[in-house]
Amino acid sequence: MAKIVLRRVTKSFGQKVAVDDLNLEVEDGEFVIVVGPSGCGKTTTLRMIAGFETPNMGTLHIGGTLMNHVPPKDRNLAMVFQNYALFPHMSVERNLSFGLRVRHASKKEINTQVHEIAEMLGIRPLLDRKPAQLSGGERQRVALGRALLRKPQAFLLDEPLSNLDAALRTQMRFELKRIHAQFPVTTVYVTHDQVEAMTMADRIVLMNDGELQQVAPPETLYAEPVNVFAAGFIGSPKINLVSARIDHSSGGSALRCLATAIPLTTEIADQLRSAQSETVTIGIRPEDILPQSPMDDTPGRAVVSGTVEVIEPLGAETHIAVRVGDDILTCRTPPRSGLEMGSTINLSFDIAQATIFDGTSGLRLC
Amino acid sequence: MSADQLVTTEREVTAPAVVRKRRSLARPVLNVFMIVIGLVFLLPLLWLILASFNPTADGTLAMPHPFSLLNYHLVIRAGAGAAIRNSLYLAGVSTVIATAVSTMAGFMLARRKIRFKGLVLVLILFLTGLPITLLLIPTYQIFVHLNWLNSKFYTSLVLASMSVPFSIWLLKNFIGQVPGEFEEAAAIEGASEISILFRIVIPLIIPGILVAAILTFINSWGSFLIPLVLDANPSDTPGAVGIYQFMSANGQVQFGQLAAYSVLFSVPVIILYLISSRWLSGGFSFAGGVKG
Amino acid sequence: MTTLAKPPTSDDTAIAEPRLRSAIRHVVTTAWLFPSAALLIGLFIIPTCYAVYLGFTNLELLGQYAQNYNFTGLANLQRMIHDPTFWLSVKLTLIFVIGSGVIAQTVLGLALALLGQRVNVIARSSVGAIVILAWVLPEITVAFVWYSFSQAGGTLSHLFGVPNSDLLSTVPMLVVCMANAWRGTAFSMLLLSAGLRNVPREVDEAAQLEGAGYWRRLFTVTLPIIRPTLMINLLLITLATISDFTLIFAMTQGGPGNQTAILPVYMYIEAFQFNQLGYGTTIALTLVLIGAILSIAYIRQLRPELQDSTS
Repeated sequence: MAKIVLRRVTKSFGQKVAVDDLNLEVEDGEFVIVVGPSGCGKTTTLRMIAGFETPNMGTLHIGGTLMNHVPPKDRNLAMVFQNYALFPHMSVERNLSFGLRVRHASKKEINTQVHEIAEMLGIRPLLDRKPAQLSGGERQRVALGRALLRKPQAFLLDEPLSNLDAALRTQMRFELKRIHAQFPVTTVYVTHDQVEAMTMADRIVLMNDGELQQVAPPETLYAEPVNVFAAGFIGSPKINLVSARIDHSSGGSALRCLATAIPLTTEIADQLRSAQSETVTIGIRPEDILPQSPMDDTPGRAVVSGTVEVIEPLGAETHIAVRVGDDILTCRTPPRSGLEMGSTINLSFDIAQATIFDGTSGLRLC
Repeated sequence: MSADQLVTTEREVTAPAVVRKRRSLARPVLNVFMIVIGLVFLLPLLWLILASFNPTADGTLAMPHPFSLLNYHLVIRAGAGAAIRNSLYLAGVSTVIATAVSTMAGFMLARRKIRFKGLVLVLILFLTGLPITLLLIPTYQIFVHLNWLNSKFYTSLVLASMSVPFSIWLLKNFIGQVPGEFEEAAAIEGASEISILFRIVIPLIIPGILVAAILTFINSWGSFLIPLVLDANPSDTPGAVGIYQFMSANGQVQFGQLAAYSVLFSVPVIILYLISSRWLSGGFSFAGGVKG
Repeated sequence: MTTLAKPPTSDDTAIAEPRLRSAIRHVVTTAWLFPSAALLIGLFIIPTCYAVYLGFTNLELLGQYAQNYNFTGLANLQRMIHDPTFWLSVKLTLIFVIGSGVIAQTVLGLALALLGQRVNVIARSSVGAIVILAWVLPEITVAFVWYSFSQAGGTLSHLFGVPNSDLLSTVPMLVVCMANAWRGTAFSMLLLSAGLRNVPREVDEAAQLEGAGYWRRLFTVTLPIIRPTLMINLLLITLATISDFTLIFAMTQGGPGNQTAILPVYMYIEAFQFNQLGYGTTIALTLVLIGAILSIAYIRQLRPELQDSTS
């Protein structure tokens, strides 16, 4: 078990900068998920930790040791690959014991450990099979078992669930969490799936275009995204992003958007004064927008009117897309709302619950 | 526009029926045609086998009367066995050398960053196209200077080098098809370079190595011009040269004995081909190790 | 959290790998190439360069010029230009390559590959096995079989309706071409079958729906799609046939009267029977030149496809 520290790490392939000046600390025993769109540098980061790539600049420490030029075999890490990379010519048992065998562990020790891990993962009946004879879920377990067996310093996972079907994926999420609770090994997990990130991580590392965007626990990332990208990447359905103009007139400040003017409290207005331009982007989560019933008249909520364009019933809730002026707002509503396509609807939201970003830099203002 | 559409729809409805009808009519004719071509190809083979059992064979296809092993008996006594042993030596030694050397080079060229790699690969490809006829005289001259003539070992070295360019390409491509993740997974589990090569890469490309080895063996086995020129030692004569000498020996051509000699000489490569074709067409895949 | 400005600081520079270790790694990396490099340089590159030199000398196998040969400039070339046998040999080589290789093997191979798609499995696999067997046999065996077959009284002579004539004396080039076509058809068949298997079925079905008949689909859809495979097939057949020696030499030794002396055979005769090693090398160089010209022509034909498939 060890702490992983990346300091000012840069990696480029030819002209393309894959990871740009990355600073990251993964605490001992922490479960960190690196998430971002494809090509954001998350896999390169993982491969640098593993030792398959060498950083052009910066330092990588694992367990307090400088690792930049230590070959993968001497880093005492374990990794689960996206395609599992189970050795096709070896039985499950020999796949599991490979790491111990190349270290010349005793037969007895190998035997005990293999059976212990096989028991834990429920793959004992599979020990004599070859990978080709296993189902996707079984391969996944064997790959996990191979990684867990040696009690490595840290555990690296590269999109380990992306080749499983939806049901199995949910099941494996629970299982991974359970395993991590049982063996709290430092874990770096790479995925493009925000659901995996939100459900499993102690902290999420969000990357885009080779640059670190935000490192935060899931709830914080959801509630307080640092910029438009972070707000837009996390959350399903996506956060509503609406551009607005700040209007500091004598009668008090307001945001002009959605064909209306939303009055601002002085607290918010003061925070917006640091904006570089007159325009801002307002981010409102779909669950923060409510269809307004005729009786409802809570003070302080902005009310806009629009036309229902799409209705998506999901069972437990219904998502509706409402056109308001040039914008489309998505909101979550209770099921069986009796709405019809094309009907006019009033929506209300509290601007204090919204996140406001600078229109130019995209950084959060409040 | 609408008329066009109408026509197309009409065709769509009628065309499959027409096609099906024509195909069912044509099938038997095609089968017969195929079998006729097959018979034409079969005739020389049939003659070879029948003549080998016929002590009085000539150039005509005829049933041996009676079937006799006399031809085999006679050619073995006349030295066919020794010649085939020489072929075995030439093919065996050149196969071991060419395959070992090509596996190492193929691994490096598939996996490591090497300066001028592209140029090296093009050069190797170019070498596969160079005819031995060009290399024969200079190699002969070099052998004269080094005093390497009339040696089975040096002759097999030349045979090995003839197969190396192709083997390197074949093995490089085979190794290139093995997902790099297997090696990465082994590395992170703590395996060294040598360990990765022997525990992971070689077991995974055994079919490729076998194919390269068998092709080299078949080529060297049948080689005629190189041993003819480089090794004139009568006790080193391999099968191909032996058959040639037997054919052009003075006097009556012994068709039956030559047929027996040819059959003896051909059987090993036919067996090897059957083994290798299983690997070639079997479509070895890495399914199971990666993905589903 | 986000890092915008990043002025370089002292601990920011690349951590270099220790020099000694990087040097060792480099040597280890390239060391595995040494054995094959030694073989290829010693027995390919050096002989090739040596051949270019020897082609311009009066080296002989025996006699006064065996040891003390010298550079004779363009003498060999001049001799070649005025050598009617050489020109006959070039002609015979082209007949052999184009007739038995490019035309006979490709047409037969394509026909078998196309038939294989439509005949029943038993016919396909048994005929395929026979054709492949002919290809797997050692060349010397093929030479002997066809030599015997074309004797006076041989089965081939019977089939030709001239049972009492020795076909290797009357139509020697035809017989060796037939032997070579018999032997090499399997290669085209295998390569083109593989090419045909890769033709997407939907394309052919779409053409059927458009009402195109079999031959029309073959010439306007199937063959254009497998054109790259066809060209590669032609290239490989040409290179294999042009340097073929064993088959013809064992059957006829180039005779009768040089009537089957294709360039490799003529080279061998000049070099090792008439002792003219220098002149033989000149002939071999010419052979490589012809092969190179033909290869370039094929590759030119192939280039548009290769670019299409990569873009």
